[in-house]
Amino acid sequence: MAKADLKPKSIRHAKNWSDEVENLYRFQQAGYRDEFEYKQVKQVDTVECWPETGFVKKLQRRDNTYYYYNKQRECEDKEVHKVKVYVY
Amino acid sequence: MVVEKAAASPPVPVGERRPQKQEPLGRKKKIRQQVTDGFTVKALMKNSVVRGPPLAGAFKERPTKPTAFRKFYERGDFPIALEHDTKGNKIAWKVEIEKLDYHYYLPLFFDGLCEMTFPCEFFARQGIHDMLEHGGNKILPVIPQLIIPIKNALSLRNRQVLCITLKVLQHLVVSADMVGEALVPYYRQILPVLNIFKNMNVNSGDGIDYSQQKRENIGDLIQETLEAFERYGGETAYINIKYMIPTYQSCILN
Repeated sequence: MAKADLKPKSIRHAKNWSDEVENLYRFQQAGYRDEFEYKQVKQVDTVECWPETGFVKKLQRRDNTYYYYNKQRECEDKEVHKVKVYVY
Repeated sequence: MVVEKAAASPPVPVGERRPQKQEPLGRKKKIRQQVTDGFTVKALMKNSVVRGPPLAGAFKERPTKPTAFRKFYERGDFPIALEHDTKGNKIAWKVEIEKLDYHYYLPLFFDGLCEMTFPCEFFARQGIHDMLEHGGNKILPVIPQLIIPIKNALSLRNRQVLCITLKVLQHLVVSADMVGEALVPYYRQILPVLNIFKNMNVNSGDGIDYSQQKRENIGDLIQETLEAFERYGGETAYINIKYMIPTYQSCILN
């Protein structure tokens, strides 16, 4: 079964910032759990990312508006603990 | 010395004359001074004090005019919506930025730099940021159309608008290749106001100037902007900046 169709088994909150936490923060700002749900909902293969940093660049929300993100880090330290990390 | 006027009142007998008031010795007569404007006949008089020249109003803020940005925003012509998130506010774009016509929208967003009230000011600032971030080679052909809105924003001489415009200019020169060099011919339109505010620094002694941390100190912002212009403006940038701002020192040559 494709990983995108699986539902997460557990959830925990992020404690420290990392590249993965930054991307999760961006997906959750746009209203998705993570990259898997985004690809499942939007039926796309790839997500546009900044080539220099690898962070997510552009996401389409469920209401079809677009969110654009900066090249540099956007998730502040005080927001890190609010980021949910899903384990499949 | 008493001067008798001819054909004045009939002479008074000696016994009825009142004694003249005489000033005590050593006390000078007070000269009443009058304040006058310069370059008049009155100014040439001995007892006149010339008033100084009136203020030219170089630092005085100009009133804002209604902008095209506000008109288009209220009509709903912009493909943007306001979203509230944990950090404050964010823009959601209804159309992909890559598909926008930069020749039409970018000058309109720059026109919104003159706005000082929410939400127009936020939309203009954030919209410019997003469009410059994702514009790529679409920005360079639009540069000539951005000069007038930038000049209008700077000429307002409003501190808040100045700070935002300077940060936008710094972003503009790094947003795409050759943009810095494309701006060089327009320095004579943008830089005069920067020359006026270049020395607006707070002398707080050994105190902490928090406006520096928050990047709102105008003198420092202008210095940063000029350095960015010089770095990304090519070989002729320095001499053109020096022509408009004679006190500027190069950050590359020395």
